[in-house]
Amino acid sequence: MGNLIVRRVTQMLLIMLTVSLLLFAIFDSDQFREKVAVAELGGFGVATLSAGDYHEWLEKKGFNQPFLVRYGQWLRAVLHGDLGQSIEKDVAVSTLLKESLANTAILAFFVFLIMIPVSLTLGVLAGMNVGSALDRVISIAAVFTTSIPQIATAVLLTVILALGLGWVPAKSAMTDGWSFRALVLPLLTLLVYDIGYLVRMTRAAMAEVMASQYIRTAVLKGLPYRRVILRHALRNALIVPVTLIFLELNGVLSQVVVVEVFFQYAGFGRMLFDAANFGDIQVLQAATLVAVAVAVGSQLLSDAAYVFLNPRVRFA
Amino acid sequence: MNEHSLLPRLRDQLNAGLMDRREFVRFAALLGVAAGSAYAMAGLSAPVMAGNTLPFPAAEPGAKRGGKLRIGEMVARMDDPATYNWNEMANQTRPMLEYLTMVGADNVVRPMLIESWSPTPDLKTWTLQVRGGVMWHNGEELTAEQVAWNIRRWSDPALGSSNLGLSTFAALTEPTGEKDSKGKPVRRPLKNGVEVLDRRTLRLNLAKPVLSVAEDCGEFCTLVVHPSFKAPLSRNPIGTGPYTLAELRVSDRCILKRVAKTTDGKDFHYWGGEVFLDEIHFYHYEQENQTAALASGSVDAIYELPVEQIELARSIPGARILSVETAQTLCCRMQVDVKPFNDIRVRRAVVKAADNAAIKRLVFGEHGLVAANFHVAPVHPEYFPLPPVARDVAGAKQLLREAGYPNGIDLDIVVGNNDGPWQQAACEALRDQVKEAGINLAVTVVPATKFWEIWTKVPFGATSWAHRPLGTMALAQAYRGGASWNESHFSDPEFDQALSDAEATLDVAARKAKMQKVEKILQDAAVVIQPMWRPVFILAAAKVHGYNAHPARQMQLNKVWIS
Amino acid sequence: MNSRLAILLALIWLPLTAYVMFRSALGAHGSYLLLPAIPSVIVLYVLALRSWRESWVAMLGATLVCFWLLMAVTAPYLPLLDPNKPLVPLVTPGGIRHGVLFLLGSDLRGRDVLSRTVWGCQRVLVWGITATSVAYVVGAGAGLIGGYLGGWWDEFVSFASNVLLSFPVMVLYILVLNLLGQSGFNIIIAVTCSSAPVIMRIVRGLALDAKSRDYIQAAQTRGEHPLWIMLVELLPNVRGPIIVDACLRLGYTTVAITTLTFLGLGLQPPDPDWGLMIKEGATAALLWKYSYMVIVPALSVSSLILGFNLIADGMREMSLRD
Repeated sequence: MGNLIVRRVTQMLLIMLTVSLLLFAIFDSDQFREKVAVAELGGFGVATLSAGDYHEWLEKKGFNQPFLVRYGQWLRAVLHGDLGQSIEKDVAVSTLLKESLANTAILAFFVFLIMIPVSLTLGVLAGMNVGSALDRVISIAAVFTTSIPQIATAVLLTVILALGLGWVPAKSAMTDGWSFRALVLPLLTLLVYDIGYLVRMTRAAMAEVMASQYIRTAVLKGLPYRRVILRHALRNALIVPVTLIFLELNGVLSQVVVVEVFFQYAGFGRMLFDAANFGDIQVLQAATLVAVAVAVGSQLLSDAAYVFLNPRVRFA
Repeated sequence: MNEHSLLPRLRDQLNAGLMDRREFVRFAALLGVAAGSAYAMAGLSAPVMAGNTLPFPAAEPGAKRGGKLRIGEMVARMDDPATYNWNEMANQTRPMLEYLTMVGADNVVRPMLIESWSPTPDLKTWTLQVRGGVMWHNGEELTAEQVAWNIRRWSDPALGSSNLGLSTFAALTEPTGEKDSKGKPVRRPLKNGVEVLDRRTLRLNLAKPVLSVAEDCGEFCTLVVHPSFKAPLSRNPIGTGPYTLAELRVSDRCILKRVAKTTDGKDFHYWGGEVFLDEIHFYHYEQENQTAALASGSVDAIYELPVEQIELARSIPGARILSVETAQTLCCRMQVDVKPFNDIRVRRAVVKAADNAAIKRLVFGEHGLVAANFHVAPVHPEYFPLPPVARDVAGAKQLLREAGYPNGIDLDIVVGNNDGPWQQAACEALRDQVKEAGINLAVTVVPATKFWEIWTKVPFGATSWAHRPLGTMALAQAYRGGASWNESHFSDPEFDQALSDAEATLDVAARKAKMQKVEKILQDAAVVIQPMWRPVFILAAAKVHGYNAHPARQMQLNKVWIS
Repeated sequence: MNSRLAILLALIWLPLTAYVMFRSALGAHGSYLLLPAIPSVIVLYVLALRSWRESWVAMLGATLVCFWLLMAVTAPYLPLLDPNKPLVPLVTPGGIRHGVLFLLGSDLRGRDVLSRTVWGCQRVLVWGITATSVAYVVGAGAGLIGGYLGGWWDEFVSFASNVLLSFPVMVLYILVLNLLGQSGFNIIIAVTCSSAPVIMRIVRGLALDAKSRDYIQAAQTRGEHPLWIMLVELLPNVRGPIIVDACLRLGYTTVAITTLTFLGLGLQPPDPDWGLMIKEGATAALLWKYSYMVIVPALSVSSLILGFNLIADGMREMSLRD
């Protein structure tokens, strides 16, 4: 187990190094510098500047030093905890990162809070009674909700709940201070897809376990049905869903990009989207490192949970 | 104050019916006549202004003090006002810093930090009178030396300010004779361009005659800063306006609070009279989300209502839609030195195959005005109405045949939607129209940021040009040979001469006649297809009063109040 | 059976792809290219119904997918209005203006929603299927190389795939599309970057497992070239799970293309596209009265993805029952 962690962490660091080098190289081209210039000074502005003044502006921004020097500087700064400055928003990257991660964490917290009990319950119920009416309804609903792209859900929810009924604000920019009501729409958009996905997986796992030999044996032996479920079936059926829940941490980070951009919620996804569009390289580097860390971390947690929960692997 | 020597001639022309009253007011104001007097001379009742020398509209009866206004617009950085490139930056700064003059929503220029201005008859020397009793946020009083410092700064080519595109500040520079690596001539500031005469008077000695000094001083990049200014403005904004910066978070919010005391403890006294709002809050919303935000009650007013969302806006109870005609337009311009557009027959064919009125109708419905491809608008004072360009598909085909394209031609237009998706809609409409003449136009849409990298390089591009108060301003920036924003590479010495001639003429009848020549040359050269002058819409909740649409999207919030 | 299926699929996919990607070059007669595809779709549907008789779930999925395939290949032949021509804006579904019937209404600019929906499915299908296929070729190729050849090849391929897998999917798409520019071909690259690693893992695992099997060792003894072994001996035996994964992946790719177009990073206007329709509907018509502009494309794309998901579920069910 400890071995696994060490190996994974080393690999993660190696990946982070590779990725940051690649990103830096790609964003260092002339084309990107001009893109940043245009974003800062405006199209008309850049056309007005003479070539000499343009070079001076580049120097002022520190764009003229050779690539490896700048990469080395950045690396050293990061190791000392200084993630740089955002060109677009003129604020320290670490502040920006902290705030946006906190916001996304709040959203993710509520998502998981509601998603886990609801989908596990529904999935187990459906899996227990494969073929019944309840199972059919839950399965159809689950497949249906995982087939709707989240942008469509987002728009339809806005039309119905925000502009139609007026129960919640249409955008989650939190202009009047933090309020849970503003969080409802992004929350629902994420939940519609995530609950459906987890229900399908849980149902499949539960159905497989229910059809297995030892459960059927236990039932035939005359054990009370409920005890069979609670003590034997669940423990085995929930292995896969629990590991999937850890992987969902990574999935949420990806889904959250679209949802945050549409609802204008100031979270990690929106920060990444803005930075990528603008070419704000310091932010992009930092955000990518965080994304890699979350991805590797969630995979690690998921594998660790699998090993922990699955007695066959644990005592192998 | 002595009457300007050219004023009797203007009056004669007004009386002889050679100029209409509105144009008289404009030109008189340009000459330094107080707006109220100008309206009076023209025999019109002036819009009620708060006092003869204040540029703001009078406060409405029943205006209440207090409250905060929440505006939905994209919140931008505030670095150096002279190099601002987004309107939003200026909007956030305008309650704190002010201009020398203010161009109102009616396109008439009024004195702001400059109390009066008077040119010599040759329009090369302008004497500016600074308003007295204007207090900075740090307690000092505004002096002519400080104004001169600002003007010198705007006309310094090393700063890279877009103000250099304005005739006034360009005329305060001279070429050094060298050329830079891009081949553009290097310029430096004139030695004695700005002269301070006394504590409240300064004089501009321009290299060429300029008519639009007063209007140039009201352009969005000419905010007056205190000489102690160091970029970025957001760290320490010192201005003359009634508000100051409480908080700025880019892409999030910008909070402005009314100034009560100066930084050295005195009471702050605002020269412009009563101001009603306690706080102004700008909240960041992307353009397409602003209307939805207002519908939900998250904001009280927005930066702009795009024409696609008018239906949505109409459904919001109590919200008011305000509109104004502007000189903002879409220029589908062809580069005259690139194949196939170097053949004027090809260009003329494209122009003939287009139906400007139909494009306007498709994109803006009954709003907006039809344009005729010469980039001077009906809202401009020197507008000379040329006959509209009639659609002639057969003629277009004939021209193409003559030019060597009997089976039609394939073209590609690049549009960046820098002002909104209506640009793409206009290009697509154009595509459908020219198809009938055998021209296969492919519309390539690129993201706005990408467009700005290539806008001067593509052979056929669609750029949105912002509103300018005078017709000659856009022409000078876009079509004069060698101008930095001349994206069509149009270079005709006859045109340049005629334009300079018109720019130096005050006499309206003669000026209009000269503009006729300028416009005709440009229209005949078929450089650009310019289908319409777009209207600008804004949206405000019912409780917001005094919030008006401005053709250049400048928010003037000094007399806005909340009920 | 296999070769028949391959020919059918080629007859459908090749003309459709050529039509969508090279339409301007083909001119007015390009629609003739689609003629062989129409009966192929019908034959494919009948075959699918027959082989999946036992699972009504898979049959329903096949119906949905083949419906959209049929729409895509017959689009030039259906009596539809011009999808790009603005006629009368904001007509509600079923409205008649100037003698023209708008079955599903018209959008903000006056273009007929029904014809835009039908023509839109061409682009989604072509780019989605192409992108997924390329991802499969690359991923399976990498997996076979890594699994079969082992050693340094395996290390390199695994590391590359780990790097790509370390990104949340959306982040990867955004980075790739911002770097390379927005176009259909770059979407293929982006989808490959995100899907190929997973496919590689699956195929590599299967290859490692199969490597020890007898028939492989027999082929090695016979002296067959490694590439031949991989393609002819190995690949056909891992067909089952791959088809299920392929259907699911087609679903994910369709969602990705729609979402990316919505964000402005995907396929570019002016041609009709479902993601674009949702985007235009979202900015302009958030009123219940005009929500058909969003509901129609949303239902269309959802039904297509549902089709893929149902096929995958049905096939899994059937394989479990065996």
